[in-house]
Amino acid sequence: MQLERNAFSGHDLRKIYVTGETEVHALRGVDFDIKKGESLVLLGPSGSGKSTLLNIVGGLDRPTSGTLHYDEIELTALDDRDLTRFRRANIGFIFQFYNLIPSLTAEENVRLVTDIASNPMDPGEALALVGLADRKHHYPAQLSGGEQQRVAVARAIAKQPSVLLCDEPTGALDSRTGVRVLETLEQANRELGTTLLIITHNAGIAAMADRVFHFLDGRIARIETNTHRISPSEISW
Amino acid sequence: MRALDLKLMRDLWRMRGQALAIAVVLAAASATFILSMGVHRSLYETREAYYSENNFGDVFANMTRAPRSVLDQVSAIEGVQQAQGSIVQYAILDFPNRIEAVRALLQSVDERGRDRINLVSLKTGRMPAPGQPEEVVADEAFALANNVVLGHEFDAIIYGRMQRLKVVGIGLAPNYVNALAPGDIIPDDTRFGVFWMGEEALEAATDRTEAINTLSVKLQRDASQADVIRAIDRILEPYGGTGAFDRDDHPSHVFLDSELDQLEAMVKIFPPVFLLVATFLVYVVLGRMIRTQRSLIGLFKAFGYSDAAIAGHYLKFAIAIAILATILGAIAGVWMARELTELYARYYHFPILRFSFEPSVFFGASALAVASAAVGAVSGVWSAARLTPAVAMSPPPPPVYRAGMVERIGQNAGFSAIGHMIVRHIARWPARSSMTIGGVALSIGLLFSTLQFIDSSEFMLESYFFRSQQQDISVTFTEARNEDVLFELRQMPGVLRVEPVRGLSVEMNHGNRLERTALEAIPPSAKLTARIDQDGNVISMPPGGLMLSRQLADQLKVDPGDSVYVKMLGGRRTEAMLPVGATVDEFIGARAYATNETIEKLARDGAPVGAALLLIDPAERDNILTVLKTMPAVLSIGDRDLEMSRFEEMIDDNINTMLTFYIAFASAIAVGVVYNSARILFSERAHELATLRVLGYHRLEVAVVLIGEIALLVVISVPVGLMIGFWLAQLMLRMFGSDLFRLPFAPANATYGEAAIVVLIAALLTAVIVARRVMRLDMVRVLKARD
Ligand SMILES: Nc1ncnc2c1ncn2[C@@H]1O[C@H](COP(=O)(O)OP(=O)(O)O)[C@@H](O)[C@H]1O
Ligand SMILES: [Mg+2]
Repeated sequence: MQLERNAFSGHDLRKIYVTGETEVHALRGVDFDIKKGESLVLLGPSGSGKSTLLNIVGGLDRPTSGTLHYDEIELTALDDRDLTRFRRANIGFIFQFYNLIPSLTAEENVRLVTDIASNPMDPGEALALVGLADRKHHYPAQLSGGEQQRVAVARAIAKQPSVLLCDEPTGALDSRTGVRVLETLEQANRELGTTLLIITHNAGIAAMADRVFHFLDGRIARIETNTHRISPSEISW
Repeated sequence: MRALDLKLMRDLWRMRGQALAIAVVLAAASATFILSMGVHRSLYETREAYYSENNFGDVFANMTRAPRSVLDQVSAIEGVQQAQGSIVQYAILDFPNRIEAVRALLQSVDERGRDRINLVSLKTGRMPAPGQPEEVVADEAFALANNVVLGHEFDAIIYGRMQRLKVVGIGLAPNYVNALAPGDIIPDDTRFGVFWMGEEALEAATDRTEAINTLSVKLQRDASQADVIRAIDRILEPYGGTGAFDRDDHPSHVFLDSELDQLEAMVKIFPPVFLLVATFLVYVVLGRMIRTQRSLIGLFKAFGYSDAAIAGHYLKFAIAIAILATILGAIAGVWMARELTELYARYYHFPILRFSFEPSVFFGASALAVASAAVGAVSGVWSAARLTPAVAMSPPPPPVYRAGMVERIGQNAGFSAIGHMIVRHIARWPARSSMTIGGVALSIGLLFSTLQFIDSSEFMLESYFFRSQQQDISVTFTEARNEDVLFELRQMPGVLRVEPVRGLSVEMNHGNRLERTALEAIPPSAKLTARIDQDGNVISMPPGGLMLSRQLADQLKVDPGDSVYVKMLGGRRTEAMLPVGATVDEFIGARAYATNETIEKLARDGAPVGAALLLIDPAERDNILTVLKTMPAVLSIGDRDLEMSRFEEMIDDNINTMLTFYIAFASAIAVGVVYNSARILFSERAHELATLRVLGYHRLEVAVVLIGEIALLVVISVPVGLMIGFWLAQLMLRMFGSDLFRLPFAPANATYGEAAIVVLIAALLTAVIVARRVMRLDMVRVLKARD
């Protein structure tokens, strides 16, 4: 599914982390366009800059130089307030380690987002979408890893974001659970037109994306376009 | 060991804010300990040294007039080591350019230097010489207050005769450490002073050749004080003896005792509160530190460090804080002790009163600080020692939240998700939350109970000067008079009303309690004085019975309905069993009241007029004072306004000095507790807070999680703190009251608010400082660092 309008366009993005005396060049000049509704996988060895890019795209971090646009907005020019507003309105995050609030039930973790979103789903509905309708009053400690990650997914999609950013969402899950999570993400992309970015180590997962960015040493070494997207259920690892 | 010590220094530096916050609370404990204990020691030891150096008497007696030969009888009493007789005589000094009367107490001394008891310490000059009847030694405080120097000469009216006096020495003596003019309730060195005059000169001036009217006795080590007192009373009975008494009833000594008692009360209240809070803080902070350093502990143990080495390492952390605290506390404590001692030196007449820093007090303070830090550390240190390397290196089990009571309450209360996060975190750490509440509450309680001392003394002043005593001037006569003197006073222009004060010196006995006190006659027409109950209503005199001030009733352990055995001291020495009809809440002094009839029944005639109360036209004030000053019958003049302002000044001096310290200390508790709670809260929740930021919460919205929890705990602590304060204040008032005065519990409503607000502000500012860390939170870094 290819749309004409760009969701993101990045130009010569660079990121240098300075810790003490050492400088780490996490991104060494990255250019890209991401179309609205596109499904994308970022693949590459550990330390190649994938998370750094994802965080910059999601407004969690700023590049050292370069420009990044979302729609007409120049994200690299926003201050913290507006960047937060941008995240709140458009972005859903999913991390490898769920990042749920342990003192809140599954439903309340979702409400954390629906409380501040402008056009959210009902938290119960979001949990039903990930198959956890009957577990909404459970605390994270009472849920399995896969269930926790599905709560994280429900939390991310509940505000009906235009972009879903997933950093190794299946990294800590077994294959069967991982597939369920990917299915939900794929469903959001297909049915709601959500732009989807997934970081993974798993080359198999790349087959479910429209395009694959291959990262190497802080650069996008190669962009691969899949002519045929396979469904997550056909993937296994 | 070197590596561990290095880590200790790093930990201390990294956690310097928290360590300092604990140290400040512990320092407050050390400071108050050094202050009250140190000043107590200094005052006590100065007094003891002064007493023994100048041979302060053990037993004292006054009488109308006795031949000097009674001293032989007294010396012969078993247990008496020495007896010394002398003459004391009030006199009026003529300071021409002063409107208020200046009075002196003349105390005879042997011109040939044969005195052995209550010796005078000369500051300058010499003692009066034989054959020089004009020579006197002036009281040092009086001399300073009135610019009296050696060689100064002035006229004095002694025993109705004008006589020239010349100051040849300036000094002081242990029986006048605190000297009050008759009728006064606080010392006033500008208007009253003690003068030592040659014995022969004073005998001649007062027509008491070879006679005395007061005596002091030194006892042998194993003597029975009570037996000696009884024996002296028997000897003096024919000479108008008013009852021998020991140091506990000696006016000068009693004042010092009440001061020492107050210092002792301070030691019992303040340091324990601070130590308790500091122990809590060490417990909480070290506990958290050890939890976060679990894997490190595992690593050290895997390297071969022993359990004891690890335990010692964390114990050292606590002790390092205690050492820092002792240093800070010693600096603050010594400084405050100097201030307080200086204050005492202004009210008490000692040859030298200086705060002496006693190493034992310092070591006591250090030991307390180290011990309470160590106690706080015990549980953490124990858990660190017990941790096995394998367990330690696996991550700690995450906090488990289940649907418990608190969660359910929250669910129905319709909180936002953030609201739930706050409430459940409090419920998840009940011990720590309670400690935060308890710490802040103690701080409010301490502040309240200190602040209310102002209300208490104001209430006392108001009750004494505005409601009980409505005269403008009180006049004490040189000796008991008949009614004629009242007539004379009534004739003076500008005098609107004159009421006599008739009183007897009595001894009251109930059960095994015995008290010497004044029994005042209250005529039915009395308008200038009133006896008022707690609500300000006038209590009427019980017919045929006594009314006792609360202080006296407490000392005698009597309640209305009981009877007391009353014995006149002096006069006819009649005795009677009288019922107690009522008690009255008076705050200054202890006394009893009765109707004229009751007194007549006891004394077999009307009580003599000892003093008079005057209501005057303010415009005539100066004229009236000038005339009174020249009346030989007038011993001393009490000016209500002057006395009140003196009183206020003394209270201001006392309270304001101390109050500043205690406001600072109480706030220190709040700051210490809140700072540490907030820092721990922040470190525990940094990950969650970062998550909220990722989800699109603004910085301020995220700070609410932290500030909200602290605010909720602090708000809960307000009522708790006020309750503690309510209780602590009354305890403190009881401990600070003495035989001389009682402090009423009468806090203004505003004081509750002030205590709460000061602490709320301190707490909130502290929380905001920590919340600024939320503002600087680096989301990405926090999310990457899985804990
Ligand atoms: N906050 C940071 N501070 C310093 N260096 C960092 C930080 N975040 C990432 N890096 C470094 O930047 C490089 C890229 O990291 P990252 O984007 O996380 O890689 P990937 O997600 O592809 O594994 C790595 O060398 C990493 O160590
Ligand atoms: Mg990564």
